[in-house]
Amino acid sequence: MSCTGAARQPGGMNTATPRLSARGLVKRFGSTTALAGVDVDLHDGESLAVMGPSGSGKSTLLHCLAGILPPDSGSVALDGRPVGGLSDRERSLLRRQRYGFVFQFGQLLSELPAIENVALPAMLLGTSRRDATELAGRWLASLGLAGMEGRRPGELSGGQAQRVAVARALITGPAVVFADEPTGALDQATGHDVMRILTETTKAAGASLVVVTHDSQVADWCDRRIEVRDGLVVGATAEVPR
Amino acid sequence: MNAVVALAPRFQRAGGRDARVTTGLAVTAFAVTTGLTLSVVGGLLGFADRAALPVPPGQDDLRSLYLSLAWTAVVLLVVPLLTLGGAAARLGVSRRDARLATLRLLGATPREVVGLTVTETAWQGFVGAVLGILLYGALLPAVALLPFQGTTFSVAELWVGWQGLAVTLVAVPLLAALSGAFSLRRVSVSPLGVARRETPKGMTWLRLVIAVVGIGLFMVVSAAAGALGAAAVGALVGALAVGFATLNAVGPWVLGLVGKVQLRRATTPARLLAARRLLDDPRAAWRVVGGLGLAGFVAGALAVLPAITAVDTTGDPQGDTLMADLVTGGMVTLVVAFLLAAVSAGIAQAAAVLDRRREIALQNLAGMPVELLDSVRRRSVLVPLLFVSVGSAATALVMLFPLFGAAAVSSPQGLLLLFGFLAGGCALVYAATETSRPLLRSVLADTVVRAD
Repeated sequence: MSCTGAARQPGGMNTATPRLSARGLVKRFGSTTALAGVDVDLHDGESLAVMGPSGSGKSTLLHCLAGILPPDSGSVALDGRPVGGLSDRERSLLRRQRYGFVFQFGQLLSELPAIENVALPAMLLGTSRRDATELAGRWLASLGLAGMEGRRPGELSGGQAQRVAVARALITGPAVVFADEPTGALDQATGHDVMRILTETTKAAGASLVVVTHDSQVADWCDRRIEVRDGLVVGATAEVPR
Repeated sequence: MNAVVALAPRFQRAGGRDARVTTGLAVTAFAVTTGLTLSVVGGLLGFADRAALPVPPGQDDLRSLYLSLAWTAVVLLVVPLLTLGGAAARLGVSRRDARLATLRLLGATPREVVGLTVTETAWQGFVGAVLGILLYGALLPAVALLPFQGTTFSVAELWVGWQGLAVTLVAVPLLAALSGAFSLRRVSVSPLGVARRETPKGMTWLRLVIAVVGIGLFMVVSAAAGALGAAAVGALVGALAVGFATLNAVGPWVLGLVGKVQLRRATTPARLLAARRLLDDPRAAWRVVGGLGLAGFVAGALAVLPAITAVDTTGDPQGDTLMADLVTGGMVTLVVAFLLAAVSAGIAQAAAVLDRRREIALQNLAGMPVELLDSVRRRSVLVPLLFVSVGSAATALVMLFPLFGAAAVSSPQGLLLLFGFLAGGCALVYAATETSRPLLRSVLADTVVRAD
């Protein structure tokens, strides 16, 4: 049994092809069923909060949607094209080219200054170091980090580091940004600031956003939310009031 | 027992596979260090025993010369041995640093943090010492096959004695504990520095001054050896030890410079990351390739052998034996130095992968290809490897110039020996670091694929 999380269209059907679509996702780890048949749709420029208690399967859902884990059964499609049959290498390429990631902490390389952390994904896609650095500088400035380009992650506050992570996730112009507990290591005020920047910048860049969180105040920043329990979507809301 | 120190076994058990692998690597390093040190000391004792025997009638007294050469070999090997032992004590340092920094932030005193580390490393040192003694026992029959002074050694000649073994069982854990405590200065002084991973302080050019002084000291002593009379050999061996040890001071500083040059020229992600990694912590890079640097120095020093042994000894069987023994001793010293370098590099590289496991896994998760991570890992070893091996061999040639002139580089056999060993050593060390490749893959698989 599954419950669809697609509910963007209050008062009517959304007929456009979803940017990201999952059907009947099942994922098991040994005898533990992490996902028991999940359907999710995510549309262009939409932000979706995936909520649920610890161990509910929300991070596994994010990993399956992002092509990090292949589901045992079910399908995931990006722009209508199934990505389930891709090899590990192809999924890695997909993540590099079409997705951006913001994690709770630790995604920044400790030996690189902020500007090179942001520039790296662009360089991985073939942009020259000079152009990637210039672009990264613009991203950092637009997120209020001008003057901090040369700082290492350890020399940034938690909120500043997450803003660098947002810039890093968006520099390649991804179709979807995945954020796993992006405010989990921050205080409430800084967390709200990061969520504001994450949602606004992602929307402005034309990307969709999936945020995994257990905090309903964080989820409030997203267009809608789904609730995952025991590997199933047990609740979905349309257009969370802002 | 103090409550914090009593946590040591719990931390070990709770550490899971990472802790087991790190402990295994540390114990292996201590065992190799102990086994080879005992073998080298056994050889020295063998020569000392023979030096105490009366000289057969009609023969020159070469006893003190053999003993001096044995001491020289010990000096050339003791620094790489101590380096490997020190590296073993620092294994898994970032994971341990983070854990201990948390304890410091929770209120543990510097003394308690040091006590916890000392307990852990001393225990690893003790187990390593026991295994090292077994390794020494296994190597004894093989070492006894080496012919010196016209005959092979007996096992009894190479035996360090029960007292020697007892001293080993005390000294190795003690040195391990001291080295571990020394590596904790950063946590003890500033727990926040570790928890927030601030930029490590750069190294000053004073390291270069220390090295120049150390090397200069040896050159001065060797130039004045004739005037030192009976004390010349002791002074030379002592100055050699000092000059050799200063390589450990200047090596990381030179690698930092190499990192700066690499960074300026980096155009690809792999080059950028490798350069940044080298520049971020040149000391860690030195831990991987420093062994080869020290071995390269030994190769440079022994490149004079063909020139020395080219002396015409026709009609002088004692001279023939001496020349053959010089070659045998030189080769044994070189092989042991390069084996130590390979073990050091393999262990340090594996530890580096484990220390960075979360960071590596998250990069891969965000789409950084495994091939790139592999390339960074390989690059961060290869470039320093080439610089260090050639640089240290050149240093040895410069240091020995007052003693042997251009004998090493003017003899084709000397050059062949030097470059052959450097190429072979680089290949051996590179192969040793490649053993961390499957570890990298398993780290990625284990960390990315996890249940929610």
